[in-house]
Amino acid sequence: MNENTNTNDDRTAAETAEEAELRTDGGEASETSRSSSELRTDGGEPSDERGPSSELRTDGGAITPADDDSPSFRERKERTDGLSRLTYEYFERSRREDQVLRDDSDYVERDVLGFPAWPHEMIRNLSITSFFVGVILFVSATMPPPLEAPANPTSTPAVILPDWYLYWSFGILKTQALNLELAVLGGQTIATDRTFAVLLHGPIIVMLFLVPFLNKGSARRPVEQPFWSAVGVFGVILSFTLSLLAIKNLMAARIPIWTSHMQLWLSFVLPFIGATIAYAVLKSMREGYMYDLNRRYYRLRPPR
Amino acid sequence: MSLERTEEFDRGDWLEDKELSRVERGYLLTLMWLDKRLRLVDYLELLEDAYYKTNLQMPKSHTEQYNLDNKFWYWYPLYSLGSLSIIAYVLLAISGALLGFYYSPSATSAAGADATIAYNQIVFIQTDLNFGFMLRSIHRWAAQFMVAAVFLHMIRVYFTGAYKEPRELNWILGVVLILLTLLFGYSGYVLPWNQLAFWAAQIGLEMALSVPLIGEWAAQLLFGGFSPGAPTLMRMYILHVFVLPFVVTSLIAIHVGIVWMQGIAEPH
Ligand code: HEM
Repeated sequence: MNENTNTNDDRTAAETAEEAELRTDGGEASETSRSSSELRTDGGEPSDERGPSSELRTDGGAITPADDDSPSFRERKERTDGLSRLTYEYFERSRREDQVLRDDSDYVERDVLGFPAWPHEMIRNLSITSFFVGVILFVSATMPPPLEAPANPTSTPAVILPDWYLYWSFGILKTQALNLELAVLGGQTIATDRTFAVLLHGPIIVMLFLVPFLNKGSARRPVEQPFWSAVGVFGVILSFTLSLLAIKNLMAARIPIWTSHMQLWLSFVLPFIGATIAYAVLKSMREGYMYDLNRRYYRLRPPR
Repeated sequence: MSLERTEEFDRGDWLEDKELSRVERGYLLTLMWLDKRLRLVDYLELLEDAYYKTNLQMPKSHTEQYNLDNKFWYWYPLYSLGSLSIIAYVLLAISGALLGFYYSPSATSAAGADATIAYNQIVFIQTDLNFGFMLRSIHRWAAQFMVAAVFLHMIRVYFTGAYKEPRELNWILGVVLILLTLLFGYSGYVLPWNQLAFWAAQIGLEMALSVPLIGEWAAQLLFGGFSPGAPTLMRMYILHVFVLPFVVTSLIAIHVGIVWMQGIAEPH
């Protein structure tokens, strides 16, 4: 405090004291960072060596550089040999490589891989989940499950249905007509109707597993990848139409002029229609609306 | 030498200078009094330290970084669907454990009764047991909500492209998880051994049987025979309360562990 009063004698002691107090939080660094660039996008730690000239930080900043004082993996594991030694040497090497990459990185794409689950995500999630528990309890109290009739192997009920989340699978069982059409092509059925329907589950599940390996690249948002979003829309609508197939008897009974042939046909046409619309909409949004909306975002990560 | 203690720092002068209101002055004096006895300052410092450590290491969220707050906040709830699946799963575990005290997976009928023991136990839970009606209701509804949340979670992951590069493994784990969740639901659906349960088992059995080559073997393994009966119920029960809980719980732990390590994919 004395020093300060000496250097700025025209100020009152109280003012200087207040200033000194204010600065205890970030020290000099926070002041320079405030003035150097308004576009600083990191957490605020002054780890930016390139200074104010680099206009945008995209790596989330504040990635703590490896501490050079800490013993290297090799030092720690001097006496081990063989495979474990090799592993540690690799670790050490890749750590060094990472550091080099980080040091002279000027790429702006995909530097940020993810945001911390805690607390960014969890705080919000915790509040939403507690609401969710409330909803579950409320619904359970107001709509308890009915008691069905006991199992009777001798009388088949008119309506057999699984829970709603398996309707899609049950719907696939009702696609025998498709098998017949294939049969026309090949001259004879490849498999019985039921086998055919059960096997149809296979490709669907395999497609799900393959998604990350089919669609690569840095695009994330639907507008950045109209085609793959259209595929997604196709899948979502298909899951609905397949589910409706499961109850096609009920629908035919309720709705006049409804035939199950018509429904089967719609089940596979509607997804295509939905996908086409989604593709068209996203494609046109991509150029105009979204680009203006987030020009800065795209400067970092131009759409492909 | 005087025995009177001297103040090390001249707090009196400092207080004069500050020109405090009476409330502020009272507060400050209390604080000083407490601090002298309890060393409050030390604890405040610890708190402050922790606060800055956390905050300095944390990158800004995507929306903060690119000023997207006004555009994207309404997508935020979709990012909690994974957590919703977990909380529903926890509810299921609790209510399921309680139901387990009263249920019995026996498809034989007690002497003189026309319904099976399993079914009768469900009736008992629903009609006689205190809170039993609610318990079964909670278990039922939490299951519906969990499956719905998992479906929607998958859809959100798909449409935000969150399955890409470092996260393929988690997507694959997720597909396994959703299949196991469905199996969980199916095996639970069979347990009350009512009409719907029985015929659902019948259809499942027929589906298993119609798989080429391994069909009969699969039917034996999962359903314990070629038509639904006591062994079917037993197998579904073991699957539902023993096998799947362990497998699914560990897979969820791994799934979330990976999310924890990788962070949530941008953008928000
Ligand atoms: C039992 C079911 C599941 C549980 C409990 C669960 C839980 C979670 C949680 C808590 C997260 C954190 C982010 C968020 O909440 O959105 C997450 C992320 C993720 N989940 Fe799941 N999940 C389940 C099923 C699935 C399924 C079916 C898929 C996809 C097929 C999937 C793929 C992913 C992926 C790729 C991430 C990373 C997303 C990101 O980083 O933004 N999960 N999961």
